[in-house]
Amino acid sequence: MLSTVPLNAGRRRVFGSVFSPASLEARPPLASSFDHDQAALASFQSTASFATLKVDSQTGSFVSAHETTDPLSDHETWDQAWSAATAFLSIPDHGFAPIYEARDTDGSEVLRAWNRLTPPSKETADSLSYLAAAAQQTNTPQGGASSRDLFSWYSDEIRRHFLTNLRGGLYEVLHSSDKAGLLRTIVDCLQLAFRLYLAPIRHYLLPLIPASEQSRIFTQLQRGFHTVVSYSLPWLQISPLLAQEFAQDALVILGIDTLLEDPESDDEEQDEMEVDGEYSVSYCDWKQANAETRAHMMTEHENNEVAMARDRLLAFLNGLQLVGLGGDKAQKVFANVMNIMMTEFIRAAYTSQWEAPTSVPQHLRHWVENVFARLAVQVLNIIHTQPSNQPAGTLDVSFADVEKWQEIAVSRLGALRASELFDVIVEWPTSTGAVEDLKHFTTHPAARTYVTQSFIAILNQRLLHPGASTVEILQLYISIIRAFHLLDPKGVLLDRIARPIRRYLRDREDTVKVIVSGLLAEPPTDDTSDLPSSHDTLVELSTELSKAHQLSLQTNTSELDWDDMNWMPDPVDAAPDYRKSKSSDVIDSLISLFDSKETFVKELQTLLGDRLLQKREDYDQEISVLELLKVRFGDSALQACQVMLRDISDSRRVDHSIRHDQGLSKPPSRAHPKRPTSRLSPPDLHAKILSRFFWPEIQDQEFIIPEEISSLQERYSEGFEALKHSRKLTWRNGLGQVTVELELGDRSFSNEVTTWQATVIHAFNSTTENEQEPISKSILDLSADLNMANALVRSACLFWVSKRILVETSRDTFRVLEFLPTEAEVAEGSSNNDGGVGGIAADAGDAAAAAEAAAAAAAKETAEAAAMEKMNLYWQFILGMLTNQGAMNLQKIVMMLKIVVPGGFPFSNEELREFLAGMVSKGKLEIVSGGSYKLVH
Amino acid sequence: MEDSQNSAPDALEATKLNNSGQRTETQSVTKRLQAELMQLMLSPSPGISAFPDGDGNLLSWTATITGPTETPYENLNLKLSFSFPNTYPYSAPTVLFKTPIYHPNVDFSGRICLDILKDKWSAVYNVQTVLLSLQSLLGEPNNASPLNAQAAELWDNDQEEFKRQVLARHLDLDDE
Repeated sequence: MLSTVPLNAGRRRVFGSVFSPASLEARPPLASSFDHDQAALASFQSTASFATLKVDSQTGSFVSAHETTDPLSDHETWDQAWSAATAFLSIPDHGFAPIYEARDTDGSEVLRAWNRLTPPSKETADSLSYLAAAAQQTNTPQGGASSRDLFSWYSDEIRRHFLTNLRGGLYEVLHSSDKAGLLRTIVDCLQLAFRLYLAPIRHYLLPLIPASEQSRIFTQLQRGFHTVVSYSLPWLQISPLLAQEFAQDALVILGIDTLLEDPESDDEEQDEMEVDGEYSVSYCDWKQANAETRAHMMTEHENNEVAMARDRLLAFLNGLQLVGLGGDKAQKVFANVMNIMMTEFIRAAYTSQWEAPTSVPQHLRHWVENVFARLAVQVLNIIHTQPSNQPAGTLDVSFADVEKWQEIAVSRLGALRASELFDVIVEWPTSTGAVEDLKHFTTHPAARTYVTQSFIAILNQRLLHPGASTVEILQLYISIIRAFHLLDPKGVLLDRIARPIRRYLRDREDTVKVIVSGLLAEPPTDDTSDLPSSHDTLVELSTELSKAHQLSLQTNTSELDWDDMNWMPDPVDAAPDYRKSKSSDVIDSLISLFDSKETFVKELQTLLGDRLLQKREDYDQEISVLELLKVRFGDSALQACQVMLRDISDSRRVDHSIRHDQGLSKPPSRAHPKRPTSRLSPPDLHAKILSRFFWPEIQDQEFIIPEEISSLQERYSEGFEALKHSRKLTWRNGLGQVTVELELGDRSFSNEVTTWQATVIHAFNSTTENEQEPISKSILDLSADLNMANALVRSACLFWVSKRILVETSRDTFRVLEFLPTEAEVAEGSSNNDGGVGGIAADAGDAAAAAEAAAAAAAKETAEAAAMEKMNLYWQFILGMLTNQGAMNLQKIVMMLKIVVPGGFPFSNEELREFLAGMVSKGKLEIVSGGSYKLVH
Repeated sequence: MEDSQNSAPDALEATKLNNSGQRTETQSVTKRLQAELMQLMLSPSPGISAFPDGDGNLLSWTATITGPTETPYENLNLKLSFSFPNTYPYSAPTVLFKTPIYHPNVDFSGRICLDILKDKWSAVYNVQTVLLSLQSLLGEPNNASPLNAQAAELWDNDQEEFKRQVLARHLDLDDE
């Protein structure tokens, strides 16, 4: 006790600045005038400083007492009674510890120990009833005043006791490091204290006054207690604790914790139980349940955990309300927590629940109504502001409130879906449900703007970057088109979303290529339809193309359809230049990406050319795609493609008649000629006759073809010129396929290869039947004989090495492998040739890889040639520039090229410098003063 | 026309951005000139060459004509300036000889009297055709309407003196 003195003194000073000291100390001195010792002993034994105060106010009281009109005897009786009563009622200062210790018990022990349940002695009881009775004599001001004084005195006594004994302890508890359950402890203590304070009043004093006064007095005391509690416990520290308490139980009651748990284990548990109408807030369970079960799912059969949590929370709140920590402030905290809980629940329950048909909004509304609102009603019933001055049965929560909550919940769901939208679209079309959910949300312009803006932000971050392949972007764009068409059939949202994507796609070089190859791809057949579309082609497009065509035949609604009873104006948030388009038409959207059809048609031509030159039975796929595209582009745009297709079909007919006329076609047996044995029967020659003007540029490799073939070609040409006057054939030897049959010493080989591969192997052809030594040729010889590029020869040789027809005996020299080496020979060969360059032991796999590499090298060579060609165009630009504008330095040339070359100048300064240096060394340019380049005349 | 229809979304966007009509016109002029330049580069004609000036503005070009053989201008490099109006190709570009030239149809400030640059202009003409016309004009002046009467007279009566005058007047601008 002594130790608390300075603390108390300090506190009192603070307290005194709020509550006047007189009100705190006015009553006891009156009592002390009769029994000084007793009163002092009872209540102020520890506070020495009270003495002076006491004396001061004592005199004051006496003065007032003497001035009263009442008889002195009356006054004395009253004083005596007062003294007895206050002695009985005063609360012993046992400090905080006993209360803290006993917070979990029912408190009766403490009450007894603190002398709270001891019935008053006869004398005291009389005093109490006297004072109470005096209080009832409302006609005498003195009486009324003194009775109130007794209660006021007690109210002050409570305050004093609380501040001296409990506050410090509570303060310590509040600041203890272990926050869990802290508030519960505090509330328990406070509840016990509350009972301590009010027990005697309730038991002995209140029965003495009329019932009408009882509740008023009680409320008054209670309010006094609440005031002192809220004064000593700073709300700033209480509110987070309270929020924590709310959140902890609300998580359980609202079912969020079960949702966050591992769903697997949850399922098992439920399977075991197999109870009808089981309580669950999980959306998965809801989906599986039938309508009837659904209605009860959240209202009945609440499981133990939830019931316990609910009871615990409600009991806690009761206590909270009782000790005065409820009310307005607690409601605010509660509202805050429920706000967070709603978001939490939506996130836990519906994330990645995208299946269609969706019943998420119904489920959510149901949940809000039956679980969320229920908790809200129960809690608000306890921590209301105005204690029960409303008629019983009125709820703090109206039905309109519940509806509003449902609206809030649905828009929260919308926000969740909006944030998930990218993933939803990646999962399309299994995720249509999510878009339907979103539809409930995008009902007003603000929400629509939010959806589009957040989605565009995600797109920029996750899709429109160099790491994503064009196929991926297009694939997603298609899904976006479909998803947004479902979300907003008017296409306004799509219009907004699509702009950045389209802008980005336009910048990608291979966009056209991907689209066109997708269009021409084989549509997936039924048995492969379950396979995901391959990663480098958009097979989807070809299916879409045929599908879209059928659709467009069915529905042809336009804005000009005056009879359309379902016509709707464009949404208010449509962009000014928004045009209603068939935005759901994927193909149309993709084709319209580009400024003109030209780019598209050109690419189509190139691809079509490649495909048509392949040796195949029919070209139905190409024909049907072209027909479908003609519907979109019009005949004129695709004229070239049309000609290409006709070339192919015509050439089949022409081929047939030429071969017939020239006697090239052999009698029925179409068996391939076996060169070494039946040398007399010439090989078959078929040709495809292309109208050069309509075909795209074809990269050709020049080389000399075997004589047998060239003589055939000549005869073929003659036949053609006889058939079509004034037309000439130019042979493209680099294209085409050859069926090659090789007869080797111990085996034969038959395969379809390219013309240049066939030409190279033909050069190895044995001239005489019985030649012992297999022919060996070097690449240089071959390339000189065949007039073929070195790289190409090498590539062809390596191809044959991979087929185990040739072997590289020494670097760049190849020999026919007439007899496959036996395993022993292989082993020997490999051991012999460990460090050597050449060797028979070339592994077939290695050789195949080498052949591929060589083919790639050859292809690269042609590509470089093409790049050089391009550079020639730039050279024309540079030439024009330097002719007309005089000498220029490198920077200026680059700058000008960037301005004037359509599509920008793709080379770096260094590359250009190198190129120009080359031109200088060729004598076409000279470098004049200041590093400027000048034309040499 | 067809292009603008197909590129409608973009064209509309562009219109929105540059809502002044003039700007849009300038753009179509630029596009046309870019195409012409590309054509010149892809299929250069001997003896003529043209290129936009270095200020990044495609509306002014410099062209070079090499004097055709067997004319008094043989092997002379003649520079011209082209200045395209915003309404090009519906109105003719302004073409001037920068190189001093002695020619019946060119005055001393380089102004040219050529019908297709005046009233006979048509949108089908382009830089290349104009330059080719000018090239042929060098060999076959139109003496019926001379700007330089003396030159016209000399051309008809004294080719030697004409050629002397041409060479005297000529000044190679390349080494500026």
